[in-house]
Amino acid sequence: MHHGYHDNNEPDLAKLQATMQAIELACSSIQMHVNPAAAEATILSLCQSPQPYKACQFILDNSQVPNARFQAAAAIRDAAIREWGFLSAHDKIKLISYCLNYVMQHAHSQEGYVQAKVSSVATQLMKRGWLEFQATEKDAFFQEVRQAVIGSRGLHVQFIGITILESLVSEFAPSTSTAIGLPREFHEQCRTSLELNYLKTIYCWAQEAALSVTNNIVQSNSEILEVKVCTAALRLMLQILNWEFQYSTSAVESTKKSINVFSTGVRFDVNSAKRSEYALVQPGPSWRDVLIHSGHVGWLLSLYGALRLKFSNHGYWLDCPIAVSARKLIVQLCSLTGAVFPSDSGQTQNQHILQLLSGILQWIDPPDVVSNAIKCGRSESEMLDGCRALLSVASVTTPHVFDQLLKSVRPFGTITLLSTLMAEVLKDLMDTSTDEETWSWVARDILLDTWTTLLVPTDLTHPSMLLPPEGINAAANIFALIVESELKAASASVSSDEAEDYLQASISAMDERLCSYALIARAAVDVTVPLLTRLFTERFLRLHQNRGASDLTETLEELYSLLLIAGHVLSDEGQGETPLVPEAIQNHFVGLTEAEKHPVYILSSSIIKFAEQSLDSEMRASYFSPRLMEAIIWFLARWSSTYMMPNNEMNKGVKSKTVFESDLQPEQAGLVFLSLFGEHNQGKHILDIIVRIAMTTLVFYPGEKDLQALTCYQLLHGLVRRRNVSAQLVALESWGKLASTFIGDKNLFLLHAAHQRSLSQTLVLSASGMGNIEASNQYVRDLTHHMTNYLVEISGRSDLKNVSQQPDIILGVTCLLERLRGASSASEPRTQKAVFEMGFSVMNPIIILLEVYSNESTVIYLLIKFVVDWVDGQIIYLEAQETAIVINFCMRFLQLYSSYNIGKISLSLSRSLLSEANAEKYKDLRALLQLLSNLCSKDLVDFSSDSIEAHGTRISQVVYTGLQIVNPLITLDMLKYPKLCHDYFGLLSHLLEVYPEMLLELNAESFSHIRETLKFGLRHQDAEVVDMCLRALNALASYHFKETAAGKVGFGSHAAGYKDPNGKMQEGILSQFTQLLLQFLLFEDYSTDLVSSAADALLPLILCEHVLYQRLGNELIERQANPVLKSRLGNALHSLTSSNNLSFSLDRPNYQKFRKNLHNFLVEVRGFLRTM
Amino acid sequence: MSDEEHQFESKADAGASKTYPQQAGTIRKGGYIVIKGRACKVVEVSTSKTGKHGHAKCHFVAIDIFNGKKLEDIVPSSHNCDVPHVTRTDYQLIDIAEDGFVSLLTDNGNTKDDLKLPTDETLLGQIKDGFADGKDLVVSVMSAMGEEQINALKDISK
Repeated sequence: MHHGYHDNNEPDLAKLQATMQAIELACSSIQMHVNPAAAEATILSLCQSPQPYKACQFILDNSQVPNARFQAAAAIRDAAIREWGFLSAHDKIKLISYCLNYVMQHAHSQEGYVQAKVSSVATQLMKRGWLEFQATEKDAFFQEVRQAVIGSRGLHVQFIGITILESLVSEFAPSTSTAIGLPREFHEQCRTSLELNYLKTIYCWAQEAALSVTNNIVQSNSEILEVKVCTAALRLMLQILNWEFQYSTSAVESTKKSINVFSTGVRFDVNSAKRSEYALVQPGPSWRDVLIHSGHVGWLLSLYGALRLKFSNHGYWLDCPIAVSARKLIVQLCSLTGAVFPSDSGQTQNQHILQLLSGILQWIDPPDVVSNAIKCGRSESEMLDGCRALLSVASVTTPHVFDQLLKSVRPFGTITLLSTLMAEVLKDLMDTSTDEETWSWVARDILLDTWTTLLVPTDLTHPSMLLPPEGINAAANIFALIVESELKAASASVSSDEAEDYLQASISAMDERLCSYALIARAAVDVTVPLLTRLFTERFLRLHQNRGASDLTETLEELYSLLLIAGHVLSDEGQGETPLVPEAIQNHFVGLTEAEKHPVYILSSSIIKFAEQSLDSEMRASYFSPRLMEAIIWFLARWSSTYMMPNNEMNKGVKSKTVFESDLQPEQAGLVFLSLFGEHNQGKHILDIIVRIAMTTLVFYPGEKDLQALTCYQLLHGLVRRRNVSAQLVALESWGKLASTFIGDKNLFLLHAAHQRSLSQTLVLSASGMGNIEASNQYVRDLTHHMTNYLVEISGRSDLKNVSQQPDIILGVTCLLERLRGASSASEPRTQKAVFEMGFSVMNPIIILLEVYSNESTVIYLLIKFVVDWVDGQIIYLEAQETAIVINFCMRFLQLYSSYNIGKISLSLSRSLLSEANAEKYKDLRALLQLLSNLCSKDLVDFSSDSIEAHGTRISQVVYTGLQIVNPLITLDMLKYPKLCHDYFGLLSHLLEVYPEMLLELNAESFSHIRETLKFGLRHQDAEVVDMCLRALNALASYHFKETAAGKVGFGSHAAGYKDPNGKMQEGILSQFTQLLLQFLLFEDYSTDLVSSAADALLPLILCEHVLYQRLGNELIERQANPVLKSRLGNALHSLTSSNNLSFSLDRPNYQKFRKNLHNFLVEVRGFLRTM
Repeated sequence: MSDEEHQFESKADAGASKTYPQQAGTIRKGGYIVIKGRACKVVEVSTSKTGKHGHAKCHFVAIDIFNGKKLEDIVPSSHNCDVPHVTRTDYQLIDIAEDGFVSLLTDNGNTKDDLKLPTDETLLGQIKDGFADGKDLVVSVMSAMGEEQINALKDISK
């Protein structure tokens, strides 16, 4: 019945020929790069023409140009996906079986890419129809493929059959699937269906196929066709084992999981980031027979074993595809875990791993022989795969089980093998110190990952999670080797003249490695910490004995490395939290009662003593280079966040939970040394040293931006984060000195501006350590007085206009503004009063400077940023009257900024200066929008005692007025800056959602600006921007709808239509958007994620403008010439507004229904509407 | 290397008196700097080190504010650079001649006639049209190190 629009006449042969020639010509001209645009257009027109199947099949069957066949296949796919909605079930099946037959018939073809394309078209179409096809139709498809795969139609077809399955599996796995314009639920349903009903069968077929050719391969001595088939089968099996199995445990749980289609369930402990990289294979109990009990592993190992013997033969070598695939599959099988094994406390799994290991051992054992062979030119890939296999095994076993595995076949445990292997690798690394990534690099990283996987603490309450004693020894030995190799690398790097290698870069590049080192060191902390102390002290002594006699750069570099390693071993990265003493350190040294003899104490204090030497000017000049200081400051920052005046309660609390001999007293359990760093012991003294070292870096290392950044952001900022430390700081003489230097010393005005800001923030934050609120506020006043005074004074100068543009004055003003910003962003309830006063006292100077510096963009930006930060920190605390003052100030500020900048054009001829000027303007505008958002927050969070409304301040009005001022500056060109665009539409949609009524109070110019920018935003490439615009439209239309329903005017004249400046009547805003949105939905490209928000915007628009909507719908239908499509469109439009009992209201259920309706509507009609 | 600062020998050309010394580390993107005797605006600053344990250097990429040419310089960050004294003065536009030269009204009531609008033909045309339509235009003149140029224009008639 659907054949009405088919061309029933016999296809005109001449026409088909012509199409084919056109496509062939286009393909060859693309290849030769002759007029490619026209050629692409020709090919595109084939894809976009309605029902191009006949022509495409004609090309596939007859063309001699492989590229043309490729394009024809692509066109079938595009057209069928687009027209899917109105192809008959028969046509769909016919297309799929055409493709299937095509690849089978051309199984001998040399053009693999055409074959792959056609197979993938078949599988994509299969997937597109997966949920609608009858079981018999799917079965027929699989039957056909199965016949090919088992080899009944010859080796070539067998190979093709396997590749079809490969392409099928990859289409059904969400991460590799091709977009077909359907929502994610569809892909999820297909994935589920394939996993539950077909995946295992496909795996078995691959197994069968591989088995069927194994004998021939084993017996042959040269490359034969069977190898190709076997390789493909191995690849398919590997691909299936890479599937993210969802339905692995039990039926009950799987139904629970299926509810959440949008997130894959958490499959294993998340606290080990490492493990997630090596996805475990958890297919569930139904796979037991195939993977465990079928002798699968034995077959695979013997196949690889046989291949190994052939490596000298022609056609086989260590890296030949079949060997690579076999090894990958073996490694993947090592990660097998979960319910696929019976619950026999791991016995079956251990046997499984042991069997695999017995094969893998030959790749890596004995390590020295293997390593020597590689040095003599053997390929390293087998050895690397062996390392990967160890990693996989480590990720599915506990350290105890991991170690035991090998003991049944070797006199030593797996950990011993791991460490001898690693030792070999490290030796090679030390011998070949090149910059290139050698095999030992790669191997070291994999083996480090293996250690990490074993050592990352998951559950320390269980003894089997701890390393066995030999393991601890192995860790200690490996750590010693690691340090040796790092030190060697460090001293070797001195001669290389890499100048760019500064601390941050080297830390982040090394960080992962250093974290693994730290884990290994902590596994044997009683050996490794003393080792570090010894190495450190040796080098420290070397400096002392030398006293400038010879070049000690190598030693400096070694100290640098040791500081980084020691920092990682002793403490963890806090990431804003207070890190606890690492558990390994807590749990060791149990029973050690003399705090001063605690290895951690000894190492810490010897490093601090070393750092203290930098206070001596002579020592500093000869040894403490900026780079070494960076490492020292980094270490002190990291160390002090864990050990400086620790919160003992916290460490003890965790302690008693984790240690399994819980009857131990915390004091006995190795934390006794912590009290030495407490406030009543050496804590104060050490803190004093740290502050003095920090000050040294700020004063005596002029222009060392990186070093000073570490001091300001990491060290000092970290210290004031905890109140008990702040309390000690403000009492220290050295901290007082730092504050007074900050206020008065010229040197600190030479710091990088951002560092001054941070320092100012830090000092103000330390006020929280003062005893009471009054004292805290006074402390802040004393700190900020110099800033406000200077600005008041300079802005009052009569010659301001002349001197203001002198570079020294500009420098002074910018420094103080940065400091004010820093202080503003340190607003806390305790010091809020003083910070408010600070800002209040510079309100006038700010206004004056805004005028004086209106041409000096850097100063203007700082002025805006100060106001933004100050308002941000203050607004929620302000009482009504203060709020009014601040708001008036902000409005005046905005007004003035606008008046200085509106209508101004830069005349510079230099393009880069122009674009600089634009970028500066963009940054200003972005900050101004931020200011408006900050003002908005007063309506959301307000700690003041009385309502500001009582004093006649309406935030909504203020913000709209602000928007009205800023709007003219935000041109469509400016909106091309992505961040500005985001902020602008974010603010706009927020305003329209919260205060739609205020739109009426805008002047005509601003109103039309908002309308135009919304139109611009709707066409934006960034889906998030479009989404915000849609939210704004929803807010607009639903406000109007609700108001008019209540008998009010809503947007009145804005909605009804208005006269444009030329006196022409324009349509109302809502009808403009109704048309725009429909146009967008039906004819333009967008992400399917947007459909829901588009539905939310369209529903109220339709309700407001139903007459218009009717008319547009009718026009759309009238335009449709094809009667079948016409009636389909009519029906679809009808059910858009009527199915699912849609009512005329804007409640939540109704929005939900409309979302569904719109979705169905688009799937139904978009395909054919877009071809027109 | 010692930490001791040493001044660059002062450049004894005409512009020298119009510059101020400033530590290289404090000059940031968007600020001004003198490179090869020209007043420039800094568009990029990066730091690097001289050898592993040496001192920091600043690498400036800057654009000549008058002729738009790109210039680069590397200076140890604790050393001083010259920073030009850049001033901007606004004048009311009272006439545009055919050749692009303009007449400007100074604060003391005189006219200043030695400057030309540095712009391309289309923009110049628009400005002329706007001026002919009676728009109030203010030009901003940028001067530094003895050179001056019109760099911005603002319509104040609204």
